[in-house]
Amino acid sequence: MRRSRFPIAVTALVMAFFYLPVLILVANSFNPARFSSRWQGFSLVWYRRLFESPEIWQALKNTLVIAVSVTAVAAILGTAAAYALHRYGASRLQKVHYTLIYQPLVVPEILMGISLLMAFVAAGVPLGLFTIFLAHVTFCVSFVAMTVLGRLQDFDFSIIEAARDLGASPWQSTRKVLLPVLMPGIVAGALLAFTLSIDDFVITFFVAGPGSTTLPLRIYSMIKYGAPPMINALSTLLLIVTFTAVLASQRLARLKR
Amino acid sequence: MAEFLEFRGVSKRFGAVRAVDNVSLEIRKGEFFSLLGPSGCGKTTMLRLVGGFEEPDAGRVFLDGSDITGLPPDKRKVNTIFQSYALFPHMTVRDNIGFGLAIAKRPKKEIRDEVDRMLELIRMADQAAKKPDQLSGGQKQRVAVARALVNRPDVLLLDEPLAALDLKLRQKMLIELDLIHDEVGITFLYVTHDQAEAMSLSDRIAVMDGGRIEQVGAPAEIYESPRTGFVAAFIGDTNFLEGRVLDCPDREYCRLEIAGLAPVLGFNDRSLHAGQPITLSVRPEKVHISHDEPETKPQRNAFRAVVEDVIYLGANTKYWVRTGGHRVQVLRQHDRYFLDEKPLRWKDACWIFWHADDGFMLDQFRKADEGLLAVPPQRVGD
Amino acid sequence: MGSDPVLKKRRAEWLVSLPTLVWLTLFVVVPTLLVFAIAFRPANPYGGIGAGWTLETVRSLWTPSNLAIAGRTLWISLLTTAISLVLAVPTGYTIARASARWRNRLLMLVIVPFWTSFLVRVFAWKSLLHPEGLIKKALETLGLVGPEATLLYHPAAVVLVMVYTFLPFTILPIYAAAEKFDLRLVEAARDLGARPFQAFRKVFLPGIRRGVMTAVLVVFIPSLGSYIIPDLVGGPAGEMLGNKIAQRVFTDRNLPHAAALSAVLVLAVLAPLVAVLVLQRKSKRADIVMGEAP
Repeated sequence: MRRSRFPIAVTALVMAFFYLPVLILVANSFNPARFSSRWQGFSLVWYRRLFESPEIWQALKNTLVIAVSVTAVAAILGTAAAYALHRYGASRLQKVHYTLIYQPLVVPEILMGISLLMAFVAAGVPLGLFTIFLAHVTFCVSFVAMTVLGRLQDFDFSIIEAARDLGASPWQSTRKVLLPVLMPGIVAGALLAFTLSIDDFVITFFVAGPGSTTLPLRIYSMIKYGAPPMINALSTLLLIVTFTAVLASQRLARLKR
Repeated sequence: MAEFLEFRGVSKRFGAVRAVDNVSLEIRKGEFFSLLGPSGCGKTTMLRLVGGFEEPDAGRVFLDGSDITGLPPDKRKVNTIFQSYALFPHMTVRDNIGFGLAIAKRPKKEIRDEVDRMLELIRMADQAAKKPDQLSGGQKQRVAVARALVNRPDVLLLDEPLAALDLKLRQKMLIELDLIHDEVGITFLYVTHDQAEAMSLSDRIAVMDGGRIEQVGAPAEIYESPRTGFVAAFIGDTNFLEGRVLDCPDREYCRLEIAGLAPVLGFNDRSLHAGQPITLSVRPEKVHISHDEPETKPQRNAFRAVVEDVIYLGANTKYWVRTGGHRVQVLRQHDRYFLDEKPLRWKDACWIFWHADDGFMLDQFRKADEGLLAVPPQRVGD
Repeated sequence: MGSDPVLKKRRAEWLVSLPTLVWLTLFVVVPTLLVFAIAFRPANPYGGIGAGWTLETVRSLWTPSNLAIAGRTLWISLLTTAISLVLAVPTGYTIARASARWRNRLLMLVIVPFWTSFLVRVFAWKSLLHPEGLIKKALETLGLVGPEATLLYHPAAVVLVMVYTFLPFTILPIYAAAEKFDLRLVEAARDLGARPFQAFRKVFLPGIRRGVMTAVLVVFIPSLGSYIIPDLVGGPAGEMLGNKIAQRVFTDRNLPHAAALSAVLVLAVLAPLVAVLVLQRKSKRADIVMGEAP
């Protein structure tokens, strides 16, 4: 049967479409020219400027502090949520639970951002790193929960029963069997949460206060208000970091039990 | 005196389904006891009630004299071999086997010695450092057995442990389980839907259907004297002939009126009386078939028939014949060189005959029981 | 006698679910309700929320400029969804048909861009489309555009970058559905005389319709709420609802207006979600009737 060439052609086009801008951006980070259309030889000048810029370092520090704390909290909450959803899946409570967890995944970021902003304003909570932390946990929990839930679907619960059968108390069977076996999935979810947190812009934009800049916010202001070439370098670095983190997360999520 | 493992009036339902319906059962110490039945008959639920993974809605479970109803699984001196083996994927074979002892906080040296002993028993001493995903199906099963036995439970529960294995491996593991039971001597409670497994391994079998026990007995008892149509049809093949009791000329035999046939002689082990409706069941291997009319003998039932289907199986042949409007299955063993004989073929006229002692009457017969038999269709689409 | 373990299980369930239930109620449900509430409050002239309740804020939404923006948002989102689907279906099909080795590679290639910073990717396009950028210079050399032409700050640029952003999310559910789809059904259709496109339209597309529905959701809803893309590459001609909301919050300091617009957006987002849910339930019932689903 003659296989149509059309789908393959479209796929190739799509792939080229995906990678062209990114490759050009990375290439340009080494291009000392102000405008990307002219290549002026390989240079690390933009990287050097980056390292010399204190606002960048401050933003990086904020971003990391937030990301690490968000990851820790979201990992615990998300894992517990996934366990509940899987173990008690059929009950009415879990159906409500699932709808709630599902919300941050489908709602456009701007809606989350503005609703949280209004909530903080109405409650009189000052905007700053803490509000960013709260906002990030809110959407990261859902992603962690979904990742761990995916792993739980393949999880053979009879090993928990086996642990109980062999004399382990509920707490012992959780500590010695459930958590160790689930750990790759939890770490995968945590890495995903980490990536989402360091990368988030829209929600952070709405709930950040003066003086609490994160890296994406700094990038945005750089895009809008000047120094375009440095962004190439910064972006390339960010690319490498998120790339590595998610690669690790994917590998862990697919680890053989 | 109460037996070692006892169910007293136990019931368990899941939603609207009665998985176990008022079951009472006694299992002797050291027995290899099987629960046999189709999917959904309640046998796995019974097992889980002993293991502590389910609690009965009514009734109680006793082990060695004490009431274990309500005790969580970790507090029962009972161990389970799960259908999926449930080996801990993040632990080595050694750690898997030693898990129960480690939880019980036994001294490290004792754990090491006991685990080594078990590894010897299952002949996997050189695989002790492997992880479960590096083992074959048969090896996983042996590790599961060792992991349970090392704790010296009062009862070993086995939940269809051979279901995931292919035929050859299953046959091999059947023998191994038998050997292990003989060597270790503890009570085995074995759940399966495979009658060959149950019959070859067990001291006694309980046949279950729809949450109830149909019959309990030794394998031969169950096979040769089934009490209900379900048991007769679920285990092995059989023929069902419905009719009524005409009369009982002497106490031992009764004459039965079965549509289309001359009065059939049946062995009277139930003190039957005239007019009573009855179902006679005869297993195919007890029915003989021949071209010519057989000798008339006192308790022999003989009828003319026509061959409808022949299935040649090498060691034996299954015939389906029609007599008096009934379809009867006959199993004939070929104990002589087959090609020297004049075989019976399709549409041949023949005679079938059996001794009245070889049939049995059923307490209970339902039309649905016939559905359990594997009968070839009569027309396309039947 | 049997109730105790049931109670224990119920209590354990509540214990494990409570943390996320509380957190999400506090930070998702309550804020959303708040947005709807604030939409009915007047604006405080010094920025912030005024006192009392009024319908004025909601009524003031109905202006020609707001309507134009809403219309443009809808139009851009629909266009983005359509283009993404047209590109995603052949791609998902190709990946599902590929050998196991190629399949993993292709999937990786699709997913990897998603791992990079979103802002960065939009910025990459902004430089590419910039008057001094590569694409414009290339087109200029080919004589297709004049030196004054701008590719940026136009709804078309918004659609382009949105398709770029959402395409991976569109390809994945279609791939997942195509993978589960038994391609021998298409062969059977060809065997019975259907031409390639007929088989595609009558057998393949209906077979993956659930994947298509997910794909539509995954593009359409975020498109409606898009903010960064129109902000960076759209300019005033490409302004969307998201931009308006942000403007009301940060520039005009008019929170009730922003809340009202957001409420409209919430409703706009709910509509396709509910529609797809209903359609999915219908399709599931059809699958059961046809014997495809358990």
